[in-house]
Amino acid sequence: MAGVKTIIVLSFILAIGFILVILSSALYHNYLTLLVVATYVLAPVPNWICSKAQNNDDFMDSGSSSVVELGRFLTGFFVVMGIALPVVLAHTEQIRIEAMVMSIVGGLLIYSTIISFTMFFREQEEF
Amino acid sequence: MEGERLFRFPKPQWLNSANTRTAGVYLAGGLFSIALFILIDAASYSKSPLNGSNFHITFVDWIPAIFSALGMLVINSIDKTRLSGDGFSYSGDGVAWKARVVLFMGFAAMAGGLAGGVCVLVLKYIVAEASWPTAWMGVANVVTNGLVMLSSVILWVSQNMEDDYTYNLAL
Repeated sequence: MAGVKTIIVLSFILAIGFILVILSSALYHNYLTLLVVATYVLAPVPNWICSKAQNNDDFMDSGSSSVVELGRFLTGFFVVMGIALPVVLAHTEQIRIEAMVMSIVGGLLIYSTIISFTMFFREQEEF
Repeated sequence: MEGERLFRFPKPQWLNSANTRTAGVYLAGGLFSIALFILIDAASYSKSPLNGSNFHITFVDWIPAIFSALGMLVINSIDKTRLSGDGFSYSGDGVAWKARVVLFMGFAAMAGGLAGGVCVLVLKYIVAEASWPTAWMGVANVVTNGLVMLSSVILWVSQNMEDDYTYNLAL
């Protein structure tokens, strides 16, 4: 039962990520870093929508449609936005440097959890 | 395809793989995000109490970035197969001509954006003798436009890569 183990590990990583982000906002009484969570939750959405939208019949163009590339572009945009947003907030002293580091690490943990979760699901669907 | 090679070194094989294309598109999105956030950083720095000077980001500072982004949108929304007008059948001369005009306008907007960024840096900050932490607002403008241009180049190259890839598949 490797599936149960991976699910447990992934949920632990997700919880650690959320703890880091919540600590980074609650320790300094400054809740701007919660925006990172919203960014990383939004990040896989364009990829998902565009991969559904691309689903037409011509099999020659499979995987290379420009709608899919738009989705990938937006996903890359959101992922880098999750790192750039705390850096900008820390540079203009809206949040502290420690809060910036914690929210970046927590956000990356959350996003990697989401990505690996979808990867595991896709692998199971193929069987 | 081998006989029509112009350069001495062949194109490396990994350039044609689908993974490189995907990575290129993601990279372009990331670079565009960095560019936008550098500009937002300059704007919020201008508003924050850290900025003790009289220089502030106004709408003038945003105009070059707007033009760069518009140029990127125009360039990358053109169907690349319409550009090669040497064909006879499907892309009539009218379509290729129009595509080239629109593409030229896109490139002009992007180059104008970069030139406008340098213009804002020189006219608004260097001529007025801004010192370093203030001059960042001008430098950020140039960096933003340069990154938008780089992102657009990467997106263009990876889209053309896609054409080669499907072409190889079709053969």
